[in-house]
Amino acid sequence: MSDSKKPLIEINNLVKKFGSFVALNGVSLDVYPGEVHALLGDNGAGKSTLIKVLAGVHPKTSGTISIEGKEVDFSTPRQATDVGIGTVYQDLALNALTSVSRNFFLGREIKKGPGPFGVMKMKEMNEITIAEMAKIGINISNPEQPVGTMSGGQRQTLAIARAIYFGAKILILDEPTSALGQKQQMEVLKTIKRVQRLGHIAIILITHNEIHARLIADRYTFLSLGEVIGKGMAEELGGDDIKKLMAGGAEIGDLRDELGA
Amino acid sequence: MNSESQSQRQESDRLEKKNWFTAIFARPEIGPLGVMILLFGLLGYFSIPEGEFSLNPFAGEGFNALGIRNNFRVIAQLGIVALGAGLLIIAGEFDLSVGSMIGFAGGCMAMILKWGFAIVIPYISFQGGFHFEGLKIFEITDVSPLTAILITLCMTLSFGWFQGWVIVKSGIASFIVTLGGLFFLRGLTEVCYRAFNRAPDQTAGSTTVTDLPDIKNIINVPGHGEMERDAAKALPNEDLLEILSNVPSQTVAKLTEQLTYINEKVALNKTAIQAKKMVETLEKSLAGAKESGNESMVEILTKKIEAGVEVPAVTAKAVTDLDIAKAYIDTIYTARPVANFFGGDILEPVFDWLYFTADWNVNMFGNQFAKGMYSCLMIWLIIALACYFVLSRTQAGNWIYSTGGNLNAAKANGVPTNKVKISLFMFTAFCATMFAACQVFEVNTADTAKGNLKELEAIAAAVIGGVVLTGGFGSILGIILGTIIFGIAKEAFFYIPGIDGSFYRVFLGAVLVSAALTNENIRKRIMGSI
Repeated sequence: MSDSKKPLIEINNLVKKFGSFVALNGVSLDVYPGEVHALLGDNGAGKSTLIKVLAGVHPKTSGTISIEGKEVDFSTPRQATDVGIGTVYQDLALNALTSVSRNFFLGREIKKGPGPFGVMKMKEMNEITIAEMAKIGINISNPEQPVGTMSGGQRQTLAIARAIYFGAKILILDEPTSALGQKQQMEVLKTIKRVQRLGHIAIILITHNEIHARLIADRYTFLSLGEVIGKGMAEELGGDDIKKLMAGGAEIGDLRDELGA
Repeated sequence: MNSESQSQRQESDRLEKKNWFTAIFARPEIGPLGVMILLFGLLGYFSIPEGEFSLNPFAGEGFNALGIRNNFRVIAQLGIVALGAGLLIIAGEFDLSVGSMIGFAGGCMAMILKWGFAIVIPYISFQGGFHFEGLKIFEITDVSPLTAILITLCMTLSFGWFQGWVIVKSGIASFIVTLGGLFFLRGLTEVCYRAFNRAPDQTAGSTTVTDLPDIKNIINVPGHGEMERDAAKALPNEDLLEILSNVPSQTVAKLTEQLTYINEKVALNKTAIQAKKMVETLEKSLAGAKESGNESMVEILTKKIEAGVEVPAVTAKAVTDLDIAKAYIDTIYTARPVANFFGGDILEPVFDWLYFTADWNVNMFGNQFAKGMYSCLMIWLIIALACYFVLSRTQAGNWIYSTGGNLNAAKANGVPTNKVKISLFMFTAFCATMFAACQVFEVNTADTAKGNLKELEAIAAAVIGGVVLTGGFGSILGIILGTIIFGIAKEAFFYIPGIDGSFYRVFLGAVLVSAALTNENIRKRIMGSI
């Protein structure tokens, strides 16, 4: 069914080299709107490099990235944001000491007046913040409360809502559930599910946690040592396949034997 | 049941709703406000002379008209630099060169006002032995106060920009770079003073500029052109009378009325002083009589004191035309408004009203006590208002908070953090220059030691006011309160009887550290934990 859909972002044969070190060796990836695409792999598989290339932090060495069929090229984070790629990093890029709405609009404040000395329209900013966060399921009572008083899950929601509001069509989530408690992990997964239901946003979810991936992902791509070692729809893959591919192709059974010995 | 209500509980409900009382006491400014009120109380209470009792805190020396004038000058001067230092700390950096910058800016201004300004290209000459020569490509003499301030601003702002640029480009701690600035500027200032103060015209090797004219008091005297106010008052009598003859009669009438009021007031106070002296003499004799056992004398003296002493009233001095002419010269508005803006007085009509109408601003001789507040108070308040507006209302304010609060987050969201930091280094330089301008135009002198230690005082004032040294947290209101505490502590401790005046430093040290602890506590509470 989703094969009839067109991918929102197509990554073709992407190569990234740092000097003579090949971090990504011809990675291809299609992400469809309204779908969660889980990107799995062990440490050093090249997940972080892939995100950083997509976010415009590192320029690619070769290969193509197309959004809605058009090839795009960017070399700064700003340009990546402009073509619709929103990245939510692990540290969320939030200032815990200032208010929710000040964080929501950080760097892109709604203001009236000349340059940086323009007066911020706090009321409008507060209203938008409340509305945008409510869309993906979190009601905040007071947009003037410091971000530091929010739970980890709420912070994640704030960062996601911010990325979507500022035009992200492709949302990259970098290990959103790590460093969170059980309940908050579920909260974040619910939030991702709501974003998925919005229908027009393609989500790339980077995770270590196979259980979380299985709960919400529609498609999987497995990376190992800079190459794609497996991909598929959620319904095609069995639990053991996922486990095996996540470990970079090694058999968990072998490991069990080794540990047993 | 219970689990149901539990599941409906939202994360946001964990933030307790506060009533207004707890809301006020949760504000970070509440601690400094308390300390400030305590210090005002101490100063007001203890500055009342011994033996007199009054619940009116304005009765004492601390808060009589002159006390208010002088105390708020100390506070305002520190306040100007504390604002710059505070904003910079909120953005996560700090500047130790502020004090030296004050000395440098003051020196620049005074030297430019005295000797003019020139751009010189130095070159080495071998004619008549190896020595340096200078090629003047631009020179102005007789520089106006505004030009002097602008030229100085060019230099200080460039230096502030340079320090900021080095810090953001190299990533070296601002502590080291600005510590370098501290030594560099102080040394440069001394070198310049010595280079210009040469024999025979100047005292060789002097590190001061002293004989500047009283620029803010240069006035345009009708028929005599521009001259200093004091020189105008010292004109020959016939000239003064001639000046008076051209003054409108209404003004003369008003001045006469005021002078009559002053003379009567002075006469009344003289009478009161004489009566007081008489009573003192009588009491002394009474004590002597008691000692020697002269009963009849004791009786007579006691009766005399009880009856009250009558001294002949001192007659008020008559108002002469010369007095009126001099009083008129005092009312002529300055011909150098820029110098007056920085070094003159403000609120003079209010202090006149307090003297002539409210009968409060009176010294013991019956004259007007203080003529107004120092202008630096106004400059402090203008800068404070601007800072408050920028920090709490504008995009730039959000950028300043986020640059100090989480530098990486700010960068990731497109905040030009380097520009923010460099601008704030320039702003501290601006504040130091304003401080220097206030000093130079007020006292008409400059010397190399000016502004010594002000950088540390400014940081201390900001920290006492709730600014966290690691950045991202603080408010302008807090910085203002911290400045008032710092400025008033010395005065308050001076008046407490039986206490060494230097205890104010002990007190400030303790306040500083407890303020820092409190700030850190508040910051941690807000940061929470993920």
